[in-house]
This record gives sequence, C-alpha cells and structure tokens, in this order.
Amino acid sequence: MAEHLNSSPRMKRFLAWLPLAALAIFILTPLLSSLIYSFFRADGSFTTSGLTGLADSGKIVAPLMRSLVVSVLAAVILVVTLVPAVVAVHLWAPRLRSVLSILCTLPLVVPAIAIVAGLSAVLRSLAAQGRGSLGMQLNTMLQSQDLPLVLVGTYVILCLPFTFRSIDAGLSTLPLRTLFESSSILGAGLGTTLRRVIIPNIRGPVMFSVFFTFALSIAEYTVAATLSINTLPVFLNTLSSTNFRGSITLSVLLNLTTWLLLAAATVSASRFGHRPSAVSEHDEPEADEPAVSQAAGAFRKDDETP
Amino acid sequence: MTTADNRPRPSRSGIEHTDEPEAVRFEHVNKSYGGTEVLNDFNIDIEAGSMVSFLGPSGCGKTTTLRILAGFEPVNGGDVLVGGESVLKLPPNSRDMGMVFQSYSLFPNLGVSDNIEYGLRIRKVDAGARRRRTEELLEICGLTGMGARFPHQLSGGQQQRVALARALATQPKVLLLDEPLSALDASVRSSLRDEIRRVQQALGTTTVFITHDQGEALAIADRVAVMNDGRIEQYSAPHEVYSSPATAFVARFVGSINEFAVGQDWTIRDRLPIEPAPDHTVFVRPENLSITSAADGFLEVKHSTYTGERTMVHLGLPGDHKARWAASLASVDADDLRPGMRIDASVTAEPALRLDRNDAEGVPA
Repeated sequence: MAEHLNSSPRMKRFLAWLPLAALAIFILTPLLSSLIYSFFRADGSFTTSGLTGLADSGKIVAPLMRSLVVSVLAAVILVVTLVPAVVAVHLWAPRLRSVLSILCTLPLVVPAIAIVAGLSAVLRSLAAQGRGSLGMQLNTMLQSQDLPLVLVGTYVILCLPFTFRSIDAGLSTLPLRTLFESSSILGAGLGTTLRRVIIPNIRGPVMFSVFFTFALSIAEYTVAATLSINTLPVFLNTLSSTNFRGSITLSVLLNLTTWLLLAAATVSASRFGHRPSAVSEHDEPEADEPAVSQAAGAFRKDDETP
Repeated sequence: MTTADNRPRPSRSGIEHTDEPEAVRFEHVNKSYGGTEVLNDFNIDIEAGSMVSFLGPSGCGKTTTLRILAGFEPVNGGDVLVGGESVLKLPPNSRDMGMVFQSYSLFPNLGVSDNIEYGLRIRKVDAGARRRRTEELLEICGLTGMGARFPHQLSGGQQQRVALARALATQPKVLLLDEPLSALDASVRSSLRDEIRRVQQALGTTTVFITHDQGEALAIADRVAVMNDGRIEQYSAPHEVYSSPATAFVARFVGSINEFAVGQDWTIRDRLPIEPAPDHTVFVRPENLSITSAADGFLEVKHSTYTGERTMVHLGLPGDHKARWAASLASVDADDLRPGMRIDASVTAEPALRLDRNDAEGVPA
C-alpha cells in the first residue's frame, strides 16, 4: 500500500514527460540519422568527405553569401517597417489594429507555391512591357542573382504572421500613449522616441522577429527554387545529385543553424519580454533605506483620454 | 524673483532661475470631441511663477485644458499663449514644458538618472552639465543616492518624484501636473504634495496642477480654478473658494455644505430655518453651525463621523430617517452627543453664499 502511494507522483511525472519524449524521438531520429550519415560510412568508419566536398568545390560560397545577405536584409527591413507601423496603429488608429492583424495573418493562409505563382505573374507582366522599358528593368533588378530583392520582400511578408503577433503583444504591455507623450513633452521627435524608449522596451519581441526572419529566410526553398535564384537551400537540392553525403551534411548544418536561431528567438522573447513592474505602494521615508521591489502585476495599459 | 539690477537671484535651494517664469493665457478656447462640446469660450489668465490648480469632477474639462496647453489636443477655436506668444502652432516637443503624468510615465529601460537626463540629452547638453543638473534635482526631490536604480525598483511616491525631477530638468517655462498624486497611497500623497509645492516655490516655475481632490488644491495652490462642464465657476485664492464660493456648484463641490431655504428677510440672528421657504437658499459651512444639546431641541442627532481632531455631527428633523445637515465640532465638544439626542442649532457666521432659489438649482453634491 505504501509503495503504491510512493510511486504515484513519480508515475505522474513519468506520464508528463512521455509526450515530450515521444516528440523528441520523432524529431531527433531523422536528424541523428543524417548526422551519422554525414560523418560515418556504411562500414562504420569516420569520414569528413561530406564537409570537405562542400568546401573544396567553392560552389557553396555564392549561394551562402546570397542567402546571408537576403536573410539579413529581410530581418532588418521587417523590423524597420513593422515596428513603426504597429506603434502607429496602437497610438493613432487603434480601430485599424484588427485590420492589420488580419492582413499580417494572410500570408500564413496562402501556401508558398501560390505566393510564388502570384509573384511570377507580376514579374511576367513587368517583363512583358518590353526590352528597355521600366517594367523590364524592374523585373531584372528584382530577380538579380546578386541581390534578389524579390526574395527579400517575399520573406518579409512570409514572416509577418509570427513577428506581428509578437510585436503587437509586446507593445500591448506598455503604457504606450503615456510613454510617447512623456518623451514628446521632453523634446523628442517620433524617431528618437522609437529608438530610445519604445524599441528598448520591446527588445524581446524585436529580437524574436530578427532571429525568426533570419531563420525562415535562410532555409526557405519553394520561392527561391521556383524563381531560379540560387540560395543555399536551392544549392543544397542541386548538390544532392552530385555529392549526396555533402548535401546531407549541409542540410544537417542548416537544420542546426535554424534550430539555434529559433531557440535564440524563443529565449530572447521570454527573457527580455518579461518585465517586473512597479509598484510597492508604500513610500520609503529614508533615502538610505533599501527600496523593496516586489513585482506586482504587469503594466496597466493606459486609458484612452476622453 | 530677481535682484534690483535684474540678475537672477539664487533661490534657497541654490538653483538659479536663469529663465523668467512665463504667464499662461487661454483666450476664447473652444474644444469639442466629435459632437460633444468640452470647452466653450474658455478664458483664464495664469500669473507667471504661480501655481494654479484646476479642480473639478471627472469630465469637467480640466484634463482637456491641460492637454491643450501641452499640445496633445488641438483646439477648435481661440488661442493659448505662453509668455505672450501663441503656442498653438507648436508641437508638444517644441513648447518647452514639463509634464508629470498620473502614473507609469517613467521610461522602464532607463535608470533614474538617465530618466532625469532624458530631456537634457535631447537638447544636446554636455555630459558634465547633465550630471550636475541631475545631481541637483536628485537632491531637491529627495532622491539622493537613487540615481542608479530603475523605475521598477521604486515605490509609487519615489517614481513620481523622479517624474517631477525629469520634468524640471530642462527648466521648462510651464510645469504641468496631471493628477500626479491620484495613483498614490493617502499617506504618501500629503507629503509628496507639500514637496511639490516646496520645489515649485524654490524654482518659481509657473505650474498648472490638475486634480479632483479639493484637499490638494486648497493646500498648495496660489489660485484655484473650479471647473464644471467646461466652464470656470470660480477662480480665486483657496480660502476665497472655500469661504466665499461664487456659485452653488463651488459651494457644494469644495468642502461640505449645509443648504437652507430661507425667506428673503432671514438673517443669522433668526432661528435656523428648517421649514422650506421660497425665496433664497443659504449655504452654511458645517463649522459655522453651532449646536447645543436641549431636551426640546428642534433637531435630532442622527449619527456622528469621527475623523480625529474633528467630528462631523449629522442632524435631521426628529422622526425623519435622513440626516439633512451637518455640523463640524472639535471632537472634545462632540463627545457627549449620541444619536437621538435633541439639539438646538444656530448659524454663527455669515453664510458662505446666498442665492435666489432658482439660481441654486442642481443636485447637492
């Protein structure tokens, strides 16, 4: 009888961990298999031919640089456009917030291939304007292999559903109107207020957005492949026919990089997102008495002025 | 505020007023939100260097007035002048004003010193001068040694002191206080209130102070503007607002008041009028109502409210449920009074206000 009682909490803990363990096995098995394949031949001997194959050909450099540039640009452009937009909506057009939310969620609903089909149609219509026309020039510029802006724009759109929600939630915890007005009355313009007050207080959501956009952009395949732009994932696909072990090694590396980025995104969202706030109601009469800080609930959203 | 040869005089705190305080004026200001008119032909003159409190119930337009002055709300008509010049065309960040909000206005990502320095940084004041000014203000506002702390480590009262220091750092022309004490504990409120007054007087900054708490307004303002429905009902020194209210609204809103319907010939030497008469309404402060216990008294004690030094004795007609009037006594004198006791009452000073019956309309506050 006593044994049964003792094992009950342990049994509960075991059952709680069971789904997590199952999920971990499901996810890790292909990854581990790939990892083993990358570095071990069928006879069990260690090999680095996957890695060296990648480095030797030198063909990896261009796609790698391309992917890095596109990913960095996408992350920066997303933050620079989305944060002011959401702040503006919160401050001056709160009724548009639901509209913005729907718009930002749309890319989630549309499959990547459909987005690409639409893109291709637009690019074709630009090209159809004829050689030397503005449309043709634009078409060429957007799809340039050196700086494929069409990918940058597409990735920004694709990341909106996730990043918008994060930034929107982060701003909702701030007394935005009061902070804005305090900064304003002290002499700051819009840019200064964003830079010195708003963004530092949504560091978590902003960092999440940066890491997430980077992760998605560097691993995106469908759009890049359909538009024949040789990014890292596209290169990976072509590589699989010539250097299979190399392509698996690269995919493991890419996978791990994306994982790390997403982990960083999640950690930064939770670490910097949580903010202990005011206010112990009891004032300290002596200046040398240590002030007691007790977290007492989140920031209150400030009221709309009548 | 200046010496004979017009040099700025150092105040007791050692800080010089390098800028002369500025007067504020509202001229025929109209303001509507959608279809609702909030201010109609609003006029007021605020003397340079004075502290004026806008006092009134929620929705009376006092916050709107402050926000118009700060530049957060446009006007539909009229003008607002600071130091004789219109500020309407200036955005909030160019009006050179300081503002303390009700709460949560400190920047959470910056420490106390950085918060205070914020305005100075924007104005590109050099680091040394910024530091000196910040130290000065930390001392004036009772925050010495707290420069490195963050807002979430401070109590509500401390946060508002930092907010005050921050607003004053840039030596603004006008200081705006939007119910700065409302979110604080009662015990903190009165000490901080007095500190705000002390700092304001030391620096000589023209200050506009919004509150719905009459105690605050009466305690520290040079003049009180009592507002109702977008209008100023009375604009005078605190003691005048209390003892000589201009309208029924002011009489009822500020402090407690007794209302009696009297005939037009009634004087305080006459018996206290408890039967309604059609001519005038007199407003009598509770401390001007004197009561004596009498077996055949025409009034009855209903209940008493003890508040420490004073006791408010609520009176009514014998047999009536309701207590219609109240007399304020020193608690030592109210000791023997019990509910149900018969008393006689008389008015011991001229009524605060006497109006024709029709002018005294409105539900008693």
